[in-house]
Amino acid sequence: MKFFETIGKILARYPSFFVEGIGNTLVIAAFSVLLGTILGTLMAIMRMGKIAPLRWIAVGYIEFIRGTPLLVQLMFIFYGLPMIGVKIPDIAWIPNFSRFAAGVIAMSMNSCAYVAEIIRSGIQAVDPGQMEAARSVGFPSGMAMRLVVLPQAIKNILPALGNEFVTVIKESSIVSVIGIADLMFRTNDVIAATYKTLECLAVAAVIYFMMTFLSSRLISLAERKLSHGK
Amino acid sequence: MENKQKLIEVQDLCKSFHKLEVLKHISTEFYKNEVVSIIGPSGGGKSTFLRCLNLLEKPTSGKILLDGVDICAKGQNVDLHRQKMGMVFQQFNLFNNMNVMKNLTVAPMRLRRMEKAAAEEKAMALLARVGLADRADAFPSQLSGGQKQRIAIVRALMMDPEVMLFDEPTSALDPEMVGEVLGVMKELAESGMTMIVVTHEMRFAREVSDRTLFLADGQIEEDKPSQALFSHPESPRLCSFLEKVL
Repeated sequence: MKFFETIGKILARYPSFFVEGIGNTLVIAAFSVLLGTILGTLMAIMRMGKIAPLRWIAVGYIEFIRGTPLLVQLMFIFYGLPMIGVKIPDIAWIPNFSRFAAGVIAMSMNSCAYVAEIIRSGIQAVDPGQMEAARSVGFPSGMAMRLVVLPQAIKNILPALGNEFVTVIKESSIVSVIGIADLMFRTNDVIAATYKTLECLAVAAVIYFMMTFLSSRLISLAERKLSHGK
Repeated sequence: MENKQKLIEVQDLCKSFHKLEVLKHISTEFYKNEVVSIIGPSGGGKSTFLRCLNLLEKPTSGKILLDGVDICAKGQNVDLHRQKMGMVFQQFNLFNNMNVMKNLTVAPMRLRRMEKAAAEEKAMALLARVGLADRADAFPSQLSGGQKQRIAIVRALMMDPEVMLFDEPTSALDPEMVGEVLGVMKELAESGMTMIVVTHEMRFAREVSDRTLFLADGQIEEDKPSQALFSHPESPRLCSFLEKVL
């Protein structure tokens, strides 16, 4: 068939474009997931903590981030902030650092709001009686959390966190609009060079699918390993 | 009773949830080796009172003296006081992420620096006492309600508490399992453990406990030796309550 023939030709002619795109997409997604999880954990702690002002900040942040489009957040950071003098510096030995940083910052700030909610709901889904029982034998709240509540919460948190990772991989395609050479951006390059829009997009879709499918398989494998302990 | 030693003294204890007054100026004492039942209608504040004793609920006002120390005062190490008060819950609340042995040994090992071998030996001895020595490796999800509650009692005993608090320990059990738990509690009472038991088991209150408190509407309506309270109830509320439940 003509369609697959064209795809074969595209892949043979422009492999480096796709490879570079995949690499950048993975780098952006990995950093965003890492930062998003760390920030999200902090945000969840603030959200559930005893200090009221921190709690308000966390609630406001989570609601705001979840209620506005990622595209707006990304543009706000990359185009908006420099207008008021907030610039991400360039680092000489990392090409395009300020672009990448803006992408990662926007993605992880966005993801952290979702991660915070995943962690909070995972912990709150654990029967409050577990915490009470742990306190009643004399454990301080931190120890009760660590020994009794968190090990049970992890089982609620991991699957949802896995979904969030997969979402980040997909959503990261949006950073192409600020000129980061991710898979989507490089796909557009190939389209511009070949005028084969449908075929190129099909290649990109399959690659994205392979990335998300592989990671969700890996995550569910890890989950099964973890739940074996119980 | 001769030379009664005061263990817990409750002075003018009040507890409100927002506008709702649940406990109204409760004062009473509990003595060493005494078994006290707390009975009364639902919503009368029985469980809240018990949970205030080990500060799972923070009293709105009033004092709770344990061995003469006000545990509600600022700067008191609540966690240390709780170690002296074992608690058994209606819903068992065994740690679901640990097997029976871990459930029993985690607190003495982490909080008392007990050696693993010593803790396990103690756990096995106590498990044998409640007839569950063969379930040490089971997880809570594999146990029946009665077994869970007996394990929960053992978990509290592992810390060598001065007093055991029971919050409706048999209310969530299937009828045929109530007996095995009450049996353990009775044996515990006979061994001299100080016990405060919120219960709907009138026979247990009457036959096992030395004293019974009737708590209704956030106040202690009647407080007498169990036999006297059940055979000669005075307050009209207690009379009508006993009529309904007996």
